[in-house]
Amino acid sequence: MDQLVVLLIAVATSVALLALVSLGLAIIFGMMRVINFAHGEFIMLGGYATVLSANHGVNIWAAIFVVAPATVAAVGLVAERLIVRRFYGQTVMTLLATWGLSLFLIGAVTALFGNTTHGVAAPLGSVALGAYSVSAYQLVLIAVVAVLIVASLVALNRTSWGLVARGTMQNPEMASTLGIDPKRVYAVTFTAGAALAGLAGGLLAPISGVIPHMGASYVARAFVTVISGGTAMVTGMISAAALFGPIEALLSFATTPVIGQAGLLVAAVILLRLMPEGISGRFSGRRT
Amino acid sequence: MRISRRSLLQSALVGSAVASAGILSRIAPAIAQSDTVAVGSLHDLSGGTDVYGVPSHMCMKVAIDEINAAGGLLGKKIELKTYDGQSDIKNYPQYAQQAALRDKVVMVQGAIIGAEREAARPVLRRYKVPFFYGTIYEGGLCEANAISVNTGSDQQAIPLLEWSFKNLGKKVFYIGADYIAPRNIGIWTNYLAKQNGGEVVGEDYYPLDVTDFSTAIAKIQAAKPDYVHSCLVGGPHMSFYRQWAAAGMLHKIPIVSVVFGGGNEHMVLTPDETDGIIAAYNYFEELDTPENKAFLDRINAAVGPERPYINGIAIGGYIGPMIWAEAVKKAGSFERDALMAAFADNIEWHGPSGRMVVEGATHSTQQDMHIMQVKDRKWHHLATWEQVRPYGFEGRCDLKANPGNTEILVPVV
Repeated sequence: MDQLVVLLIAVATSVALLALVSLGLAIIFGMMRVINFAHGEFIMLGGYATVLSANHGVNIWAAIFVVAPATVAAVGLVAERLIVRRFYGQTVMTLLATWGLSLFLIGAVTALFGNTTHGVAAPLGSVALGAYSVSAYQLVLIAVVAVLIVASLVALNRTSWGLVARGTMQNPEMASTLGIDPKRVYAVTFTAGAALAGLAGGLLAPISGVIPHMGASYVARAFVTVISGGTAMVTGMISAAALFGPIEALLSFATTPVIGQAGLLVAAVILLRLMPEGISGRFSGRRT
Repeated sequence: MRISRRSLLQSALVGSAVASAGILSRIAPAIAQSDTVAVGSLHDLSGGTDVYGVPSHMCMKVAIDEINAAGGLLGKKIELKTYDGQSDIKNYPQYAQQAALRDKVVMVQGAIIGAEREAARPVLRRYKVPFFYGTIYEGGLCEANAISVNTGSDQQAIPLLEWSFKNLGKKVFYIGADYIAPRNIGIWTNYLAKQNGGEVVGEDYYPLDVTDFSTAIAKIQAAKPDYVHSCLVGGPHMSFYRQWAAAGMLHKIPIVSVVFGGGNEHMVLTPDETDGIIAAYNYFEELDTPENKAFLDRINAAVGPERPYINGIAIGGYIGPMIWAEAVKKAGSFERDALMAAFADNIEWHGPSGRMVVEGATHSTQQDMHIMQVKDRKWHHLATWEQVRPYGFEGRCDLKANPGNTEILVPVV
């Protein structure tokens, strides 16, 4: 029984982590069609912002929930103004431009802080479950991801900002004739996606080490999840995370972690072969 | 006088050939007569594995400076040529070639990970430049042109696991990174469990980029081992220790390791995440010997107090040039074949980590092995195994009988 609970928590963690690292990308790639290769580096910057501010005396929760997203939002805004906005509509060019940005960010962080791993200890301590124990921070992480997802859905579906953003992405000319400035909407949306990536980095910092090239560990999984999710970026991404997370966690538990990782990729390949438009491709018309 | 185009070309060719031969014949004796010889440091000074490369290079530089301060070797000063491998395997053959051909080095020390070593090794063999490998590694390197001055995995794993089966319990869970060295250590773990009446209750290998260890921790908790043997490597895998401590496991199930601390994990992670972890290396800064105290004083004087902690990997950067210098003195020459002849009947040297003997038959080094436990970012002594031989070679590596061997031996146990 205890073992089942611990296993369920491990599965939930796996789903939450996939959703967490994919959320910012779901907005930037899923919605704006910008192939953001610097997504992993945005996560990395969020991690650095958290670790450095926490080590300089900022409260750990403030570092995670305020400093990390704010810092990366600022970086995202600058990147959008300087680079990304020149390539809207040219999907392949966004890939090359953000790849360059990713290399630049890795280099800049390495030059500033060195190539050593930084970290902060996880707050809160552990929770005993019979003979087992799990980290309390892990439970908080799962709850925070659930809140983030609900908040993103509400923001996109139930607010006028969400409506304007979705409308602009679908038809910028039409939006512009209705008096909306598409450039501004793009900038705000890109910045919001960057802020979510930064928050993901902040939340990950206490459970993993923070190092300049850590983005590579996350970017592929984020792309697999978002692409498998399909056109409805948030709900699709969550469905993909809810499918792949248990596959990876349960296979890792039952066999070996390598098979767990391979299982995730095989599942994605089979899924995209059967549903080339992704999970949410079936429900056409929904764009969140 | 008419000069045909052909004769002009011919004379130009002949002239340039004569000129270049002249230059060559002037350069060659210039090297022989110069009062310096060059040695190469080929370490990762940037990129993913520079946490191992930078301190190793620092130690090598200090060693060369000490040799020079003591008057050099055979009347010559040693000049250090530095190449940054950039944690990129493809740079290794390139820089090895450059060191041998352009910079005419008489020895190269370096390579961090096994793949880098394997990229540089055949190139240095071809150009007859002796290769000193200073990193801890999977064990089994058996080649006349190469000298392993640090430890093979067996030299660390055997003492550590014998000690652990005796002091911590009979059930071990092995968790490692998914590449050659951790898999070899997995073989040793199974072998030693059998030898010591113990049992491997679980064995798992994680790709190097994994950062989420929640299933791993659940699995270990379900298997209820007496201790965990960890061979997790690199930045992302540091998450394991962090998540293990956050799950409240640090003081419930002990962790032993032959790699923890090699990337100075005990300095990066907090004491709350590491206190109690046990490691085995040939060297720790905390070794309480007069030789080590004097060594640390010299390093502090040379590099300053802001230097990185010198761990069991970094010390190889110091040992390599020192053992090379011993062999040069014995051979009376910098020349490769004379040097290798000097190695044939064991080179012995006493350093900060104690007595070291490079065996003529295996070109690997027997040395003391210390088991220590970390508390508040300091290592505390638990036990010492004296003069541990490279066990995995028993009988299968004999460079005196087979000098042409270039194999990597895999443990057969």
